[in-house]
Amino acid sequence: MMNKTNLILEKILKEPVTDHVVLSYEKAETHHIRFSNNSVNRENLFKLDEEVKAEVGYEGRTGAYKTNDLSEDGIKYAVKKAYEAAKLLPKDPEYMPPVTTEEARATKNFKPVFGEFTEEKKYGILRDAFGELKKAGLNSAGSLSTNPYTVAVYNNKGVRACHSNCYSVFSLTAMTGNSSFKDAHFSKDFSGYDGKAFVSDIIAKTRLSKDPAPLEPGKYTVVLSPSAVEELLMAFLWYNMDAKAIDEGRSALSKRPGARIADEAIHIYSRPDHEKSSLFPFSAGDAMPYIDFDMIRDGKLASPWYSRFYAGKKGVRATGRAPGSVIFKGTEKPLDTLISGVENGLYVNSFWYIRLVDLMDGIFTGMTRDGLFRIKDGKLAGSVNNFRFNQSVFDLLLNTAEIGKEKSMVFTSIPPITVKDFNFVSKTEF
Amino acid sequence: MDNLREIISYLKGKKVRFADAREHLFREREIATEDTRVEQITEQNVSGVGIKVLYENGWGYASTSAVDLDSLRRTADKALSLARYADSSAAGKVELAAEPKHVAKFATKIKEDPFLVDMSDAAGVLIQAGETILKGKDIIKAGSYLVLRNIKKKYANTEDSLIETDVFTILPQIEATAKANGEVKSRHYWPAPMNAGYEYFRGLDFRANAERIAAQAREHCFARSCESGPATLILDPEHLALTMHESVGHPTELDRVLGYEESCAGRSFATMDKLNTFKYGSEIVNLVADNTLEGGLASCGYDDEGVECQKWHIVKDGILSGYVVNRELAHRMKMPRANGTTRATKYSDVPITRMPNLYLAPGGKPLTAEELIADTEDGIYIEGMGSFSIDQMRLNMQFGGDAFWEIKKGKLTGMLKNVVYNAISYEFWRSCDAIADERAFKRAGFITCGKGDPMQAAQMTHGASPARFRNIMVRRAK
Repeated sequence: MMNKTNLILEKILKEPVTDHVVLSYEKAETHHIRFSNNSVNRENLFKLDEEVKAEVGYEGRTGAYKTNDLSEDGIKYAVKKAYEAAKLLPKDPEYMPPVTTEEARATKNFKPVFGEFTEEKKYGILRDAFGELKKAGLNSAGSLSTNPYTVAVYNNKGVRACHSNCYSVFSLTAMTGNSSFKDAHFSKDFSGYDGKAFVSDIIAKTRLSKDPAPLEPGKYTVVLSPSAVEELLMAFLWYNMDAKAIDEGRSALSKRPGARIADEAIHIYSRPDHEKSSLFPFSAGDAMPYIDFDMIRDGKLASPWYSRFYAGKKGVRATGRAPGSVIFKGTEKPLDTLISGVENGLYVNSFWYIRLVDLMDGIFTGMTRDGLFRIKDGKLAGSVNNFRFNQSVFDLLLNTAEIGKEKSMVFTSIPPITVKDFNFVSKTEF
Repeated sequence: MDNLREIISYLKGKKVRFADAREHLFREREIATEDTRVEQITEQNVSGVGIKVLYENGWGYASTSAVDLDSLRRTADKALSLARYADSSAAGKVELAAEPKHVAKFATKIKEDPFLVDMSDAAGVLIQAGETILKGKDIIKAGSYLVLRNIKKKYANTEDSLIETDVFTILPQIEATAKANGEVKSRHYWPAPMNAGYEYFRGLDFRANAERIAAQAREHCFARSCESGPATLILDPEHLALTMHESVGHPTELDRVLGYEESCAGRSFATMDKLNTFKYGSEIVNLVADNTLEGGLASCGYDDEGVECQKWHIVKDGILSGYVVNRELAHRMKMPRANGTTRATKYSDVPITRMPNLYLAPGGKPLTAEELIADTEDGIYIEGMGSFSIDQMRLNMQFGGDAFWEIKKGKLTGMLKNVVYNAISYEFWRSCDAIADERAFKRAGFITCGKGDPMQAAQMTHGASPARFRNIMVRRAK
């Protein structure tokens, strides 16, 4: 970690203001290049964000203060302000002391490998893509970013957790005059990036998306791309997986104890040291280790998400308020195999603006975007106008007929899936 | 300001076409309560300088938390280097609209600095509200959230503008959740978020509203389901804040219209060829952008490209009449000047075109909210914000709400549940046939409007008097 800041944190923790001082350090070095109209003409930025959050507990209360003044005076001031805040508050019945070294021992540390980025390489990827797209007569928009970062959590109980990692994303939307198609390449450092294959596939699908045919809404068999599954699944998990909310009757899962909620083939779990899709092995807030655990398995809820407080109350292991990664176990079947298995249906490349409609029945709404294709006799057969859906995620999980090969994204690994009776309720004008 | 001036002078020597430097302090206190405990209390104080450079026809932006001259020079060099790379792929000439030189200061008018008040004061008020909510029958959860924000900026550019701004913002809200009759329903009290001092928070009546939302959350559990089909809707100002935000505010951001936001926020159906001719709404619909509105969340005096805040029509007498335009795109509209809406969230963020304060002007004829309901034979009155979603061209929209009442023969006759409505945005505004007058005008707003890549959150006020919409497709949510 940062040597100077490291020394300051150690110095402050040697003489903690109370028996509860946690100092969390985050450093993110972002180079983000955004483009539209085949030109770098939007956000084209470099930023180095370095911040320390001080958390101080005092007789069952906790205050916090975040600063990017990383001088000794700056961090001491943050500790002072957090302490002042804690002293002013009423006692918290859910107060938790700092994570102990005993608890932190379970951390599944891993050392991601990623290389250096040159600006020439990054702008070169874009130059090549713009060239191919112009040749194809297509317009484009998107962004390319590299995001190395470090997270460290130190506390006065002796915990010293530190993790460095990186993710890089090239997100490319290509457009005809009346349609679009989007795909994204995720990696640590673009080392496995095959520009020709990536761009030529986007060009082919974008051409196929041209002149969407009119189609009426209704229930369709759909093949959902990994990113479409991710968007809907993450919204569902976020609203419904908190164990305390389930027990208090505030989750769709409250109504379904022990019930079958998914097809038996669906296995959704977390793996903090997943090679491609894990950001941290521990919580960046308190250094509590993320653990391996199943969320949905054999068609049923296996485990919800337990905060450290609530896990202690229930006598189970803490998973964290949100897990370190979400993995939907895939098969070896490529996307094309899933499409070839559908006689008459739709391929959804992407969803947009997903929002909860009914909490207790897990119903969400949203739109299709950037590629909605007709599937006829196992083949993509041109695009259709975009639809709005109102869909129960329980029905989606129960109606999943096929599962494809996982695609690793920033902190998920998700396969495409085939779903029967997906509920589109209205159409739009494009 | 001296270092900013110095770095601008340094960049002038590098032959840039334009540059600005923005020292930006973002200070925020957040308090969240759950039942009668403080769930979270955090404060952040994050500051630094962002430098934007236009070299030939390429933009670059770099930022630093250090404000000494050496760090600023390194940051300026980085921004210039990125701008040169961008220039190598430039699609055309960048033309910046002229803006007078401003040497000016702007500050929110406040009586009491929120950051000089003990956190225990606000926490105590919110916990009391939680206690009141929990006394309600069948209540299973009380919650609250308060944001106190102060943003101080110093701005200098190569056109010799020197601007200082100091803006204070307050956003309070409380929530009650009831469980009864096999249902779980929440109800909120969202006082309008304001650019204001702590005196605004002190003036709010949390106790009465806590009792009200607890009772209404329970009532919602016993409400009957709405019927599906075309219906007349009366929408309250809080609800309209969200509809105008999504279906008017975003589609009239010119960067979206021209495809610059295609990859994230999307584009717009409200293309430039429709300006001054397209019927966006009925003749009584006037939507006004106003970043000079006192206490408005987007009222900041001057924006982050040195342009003075302004007021103009987006929709006038039902016709599309204006856009939200930055200095780079103004010439595409043949506008001599941008309209002062380019903002960044923090120092490390690039300023981008952001939605201004936007409100639906009150109806011109005397009409109270009560008279509007009394004049409606059959319909649904919707209060507050619920589920909301709209396509990336801003056409197909679907909204829920926080509470729904049936209107029968001019009277509110009881609560409904499971209401969502679905429309094409311009058809929705064309169906507006009555707007209550200024006596019923209320503000609402947001501090979490997401746009940009990387994503930034911006704040803006909306406002309206209750308005009536005919023949809108209502669906049962389940």
